[in-house]
Amino acid sequence: MFKLFKSAPKTYQVKVAGSETEFSVARESSLLSSALSASVKWPFKCKVGSCGKCKCQLLEGKIKPQLDFSYVLDGPEIQQGYILACQTMLKSDILVKVDLDD
Amino acid sequence: MKFYVNARYLIVPIMSIIAILGILLGDVYAWVGVVLFGLNTVIDTLTKDIHLPADFDQQGESYGIKAFQYGVMYFMLPVFIVLQITLAYRIFQFTAATPIQAELFYGVAYQSGISGINLIGAVLSSGLWAGLGIIYGHELSHNRKEGFLVSRLIMALSGASHFTYAHVYNHHLDLGHEDDAATAPRGRNIYAHAWLSHMGQSRFSFNLEQGRLTKQGKSSLNIDNRWILGYLYSLPSLVLFVWAGGVIGLAALFTVWVIANFLLEALNFMGHYGLIRTEGAVEHRHSWDNDSVFTSWFFIEIGRQCDHHVRGETYFWELDDVEGPNYGIGYFSLFVITLIPALFRRYVQKHLDNWDEKYATDDERLIAAKFS
Repeated sequence: MFKLFKSAPKTYQVKVAGSETEFSVARESSLLSSALSASVKWPFKCKVGSCGKCKCQLLEGKIKPQLDFSYVLDGPEIQQGYILACQTMLKSDILVKVDLDD
Repeated sequence: MKFYVNARYLIVPIMSIIAILGILLGDVYAWVGVVLFGLNTVIDTLTKDIHLPADFDQQGESYGIKAFQYGVMYFMLPVFIVLQITLAYRIFQFTAATPIQAELFYGVAYQSGISGINLIGAVLSSGLWAGLGIIYGHELSHNRKEGFLVSRLIMALSGASHFTYAHVYNHHLDLGHEDDAATAPRGRNIYAHAWLSHMGQSRFSFNLEQGRLTKQGKSSLNIDNRWILGYLYSLPSLVLFVWAGGVIGLAALFTVWVIANFLLEALNFMGHYGLIRTEGAVEHRHSWDNDSVFTSWFFIEIGRQCDHHVRGETYFWELDDVEGPNYGIGYFSLFVITLIPALFRRYVQKHLDNWDEKYATDDERLIAAKFS
């Protein structure tokens, strides 16, 4: 019961699998905007969840999607844990796989 | 500064409530919404040369208070519902031939019953202010899960719930391209655009849903189809107006929807008319800014289209001047010009010439030449 009164952390940590890249995401920010603020070369185009360019694979952790991913990602992609970084807020620290831009 | 930055966006909420009170008071006050719209056009024209940047503190943080601004936007849903109920109440009185006489409500004088001419004023007022729901429907369509539904409901009050999906998945992706129904190509007038854009966005939304449901192995003709669901959200309005006034109620609601959707498409028309994009990301040059001071505050910065289309995730109070293409006048002033197509074509030509010369890429210039 006391868990209900426990405040959630203000930031979460993101690790990009297969690289040294790590950055933090504020509770109110999207995964993509935090990545770009941390100068991570995350691929993106529209930033509103319509192009799919910022998609990545969630390997560990919990997220809060802001829009329905199924308009952009197909069924198998969603089952494999693909998410849209621009429409993702975090509920825990996460580990993701993404092809960062050169 | 914090108070000023947040309070300046309250013009529409305050004026919407005044328009509602006008309809409730009856008599010539039913026209208050129309008068306010005209007054706003005058203010917008008189202040067209004042352009202010967004306000940030020394650390670069915005003064905007998210909880307050979202509270206001959510609050506008019941305001727009009350606007419709108020109009339906007046239609009911008109069709029931309620005697037109002065009454008192807790000491406040109002007119019970309404004449035909003042009912027209009430319908026009409702249409104009319901149409301004687009500024909240638009802002809430971006990035916020809980806001998306409120956006759909606000737009459904104008029979335009399809807008929310079409705006995000079509307009933001295909802006400046022939695949975007909301971008008006050169030579099209506002009246043709209102119809073509509305129908094109609705068709896009249906196809989007069909694609999504097909991927899930479902038929597109069921309640999971959000295109259908969106129009069902408009059903309470339809039932209310038919109940209130039968055919007259239906005609009134249809008029409100036509005005509201015309205003919505006018904003699309003014935001991107004649601009061209080939492949690649959307850039500042693919939109027209309308950021004179009154337009900025009244339309909660929706006129900062150049910045919005590049940073679609950004809250309206953080959008700024990015020195993109700019008409140099506000939406109200430009709207009046667009209503006369020949005048608009003449007005916009110098801006298009300037765009072709200073902003367009070679590929975009080639396409532009085909429209000449």
